[in-house]
Amino acid sequence: MSDNEQLMEHYQQLLVLRHFDEFCYDLKMKDLIMNGFHPYSGQEAVAVGVCSLLRGDDVVFSTHRPQGHSIAKGSNTRAVFCEMLGRRGGVSQGIGGPMQWIDKPHNFFCGSIVGSGLPIAAGVALAFKRQGLDSIAVCFFGDGASNTGAFHEGMNLAAIWDLPVLYICENNQYGEAMPVQEFVPVSRISQRASAYGLNGISVDGMDVEAVLNATTDALEQLRAGNGPVFIEMVTYRFRGHYGGDPEHTYRSREEIAVWRNRDPLLLARTRLLARGFSEETLDELEGSVRAEIEEDMEWALEQPFPTVEQATDHVMIPLGQD
Amino acid sequence: MARMSYRDAIRETTAGELRRDESVYLIGEDVGRWGNLFGASAGLLEEFGPARICDSPISEAAMTGCAIGSALYGMRPIAEIMYIDFITIAMDQMINHGVKYHQLSNGQVRVPVVFRTQGGVGMRNSSQHSQSLENWFVNVPGLIVAMPSTPADLCGLLRSAVRSDNPVLLIEHKSLYFTRGEVPEDDYTIPFGVADIKRAGEDVTIIATSWMVLQALAAARSLADEGISCEVIDPRTLWPLDKQALIDSVKRTKNCVVVTEAPAEGGWSGEAASVVHEQCFAELRKPVRRVCGMRTGIPYGTDLEKAVVPDAGWICDAVRELLA
Repeated sequence: MSDNEQLMEHYQQLLVLRHFDEFCYDLKMKDLIMNGFHPYSGQEAVAVGVCSLLRGDDVVFSTHRPQGHSIAKGSNTRAVFCEMLGRRGGVSQGIGGPMQWIDKPHNFFCGSIVGSGLPIAAGVALAFKRQGLDSIAVCFFGDGASNTGAFHEGMNLAAIWDLPVLYICENNQYGEAMPVQEFVPVSRISQRASAYGLNGISVDGMDVEAVLNATTDALEQLRAGNGPVFIEMVTYRFRGHYGGDPEHTYRSREEIAVWRNRDPLLLARTRLLARGFSEETLDELEGSVRAEIEEDMEWALEQPFPTVEQATDHVMIPLGQD
Repeated sequence: MARMSYRDAIRETTAGELRRDESVYLIGEDVGRWGNLFGASAGLLEEFGPARICDSPISEAAMTGCAIGSALYGMRPIAEIMYIDFITIAMDQMINHGVKYHQLSNGQVRVPVVFRTQGGVGMRNSSQHSQSLENWFVNVPGLIVAMPSTPADLCGLLRSAVRSDNPVLLIEHKSLYFTRGEVPEDDYTIPFGVADIKRAGEDVTIIATSWMVLQALAAARSLADEGISCEVIDPRTLWPLDKQALIDSVKRTKNCVVVTEAPAEGGWSGEAASVVHEQCFAELRKPVRRVCGMRTGIPYGTDLEKAVVPDAGWICDAVRELLA
């Protein structure tokens, strides 16, 4: 695939994630997504840059803001819409909701307890290492997670046992409503990796090419069995912590505007225009992506809710069959 | 039959499972070099090597999460939490994640992990090393909670736990490690949710768990001298609970005492008493009596730690009062 084709593909993925998220935002405002939706708009370059380089057998652990990672890892957008809406046909049959689902065929997990994914990702990596596989585990988390015990315990374990875990810290500048400068005493969260002997780096998380380059280097090291890698992706969430939060109580419109000037979609589009793609081609692509996502949403809105019986399905494997 | 200690039963069963299935491994603090605080994994590091007898840093969240993650991808970990008191650090990993994954995956993901730990008094270790915390876990849908009281039950339940694809919490007791008992030599398992009558009797049913089973048996022996015949039932798993065994016994004896080392309030002892009240109301001569640990942090020292949890004397008093 040529560089241009690749950039175009990544741009398309960015569009998918953005339009998916914006539709979800509207669904939340209409109370069709009931609760727990955390917008990903603004951070798409991270999910696309990292996940597009992964193999199907690599495993991703994500956060309470998982939709971008999940779709970029291969989850069906209809199934993710359904999960957001709590409908049958969702990745977790509408039982998990917007913050916690598992898409086993795509080796994707997420959960809404901040920082908890790090030890579990280490465990997945341990299994791969013991089985002599070169699959890796990727753990996405935010700036806020870097203050939890599980973050430090998990990274330490991966480091002492040289486990193939790619730790991706998406520093979107806020832990809920608190600015990162107020809760992290170092200027770069990647500095924290040095406590575990890792050479943490910080990357422009708004630029999909920068994310791709850093991830390519990381995967080389990980597949070679050289232990975990820590990358801080410096990014920004364009919308609130959750859909509809009182965001202007903690950040200014001016600040949001500054970051919106560095919109990952805008950066990718500018680059494509510089490479000779026309405005019309890119608009057409965006139009068709949006239409397709809208169709997926309409489909999802037609799906039934789970039954009460389904609410208690699979709590555990029935005794005797376990 | 072989006579062995509870501690040795753990070691022998673990070794057997490690030999039987390559995906089984043991992870925990000092399970390797030390071979566990009580010697329950002594010698296993030499036989199986460090990849399968995995000394973990003092990081309960990391070791528990690691066990869960590896269980998702083909391994069958036994994660040992050295004292149940330390499980507080691991609870998010267990309860919010490990136990939830099967349901969240619509049944596609299995989490075959065993959490082994030990609780209770007996080492004069005071309030952060001596608690009975099983009640917290009985309230978690999806988690099996086993509390074997004898070497034979330990073997059968530990085998079942390792071979189950459900997450299992198996709680040992520090005062049981050096107790001894007959253990069948075959590769038997004990299903979850099957109680065992440890002593048959006619006048009163004593439902007891873990180390309290031994206290109940001692009480039954001494009450026998007074002409009182006690039936002692060990549920062996707190969840699933063998309700029928409790009901059948109480319908015969018409009297019931529930004994736990944990405090009564909000606990499993209330669950057991409730089952009996609901199902045996017509047969019961008097309401169920509970004999439980005092509602206090476990105090330091030989005398005090024993003073705040039930013993045979407390149980005898309760039975006498009930039958009076």
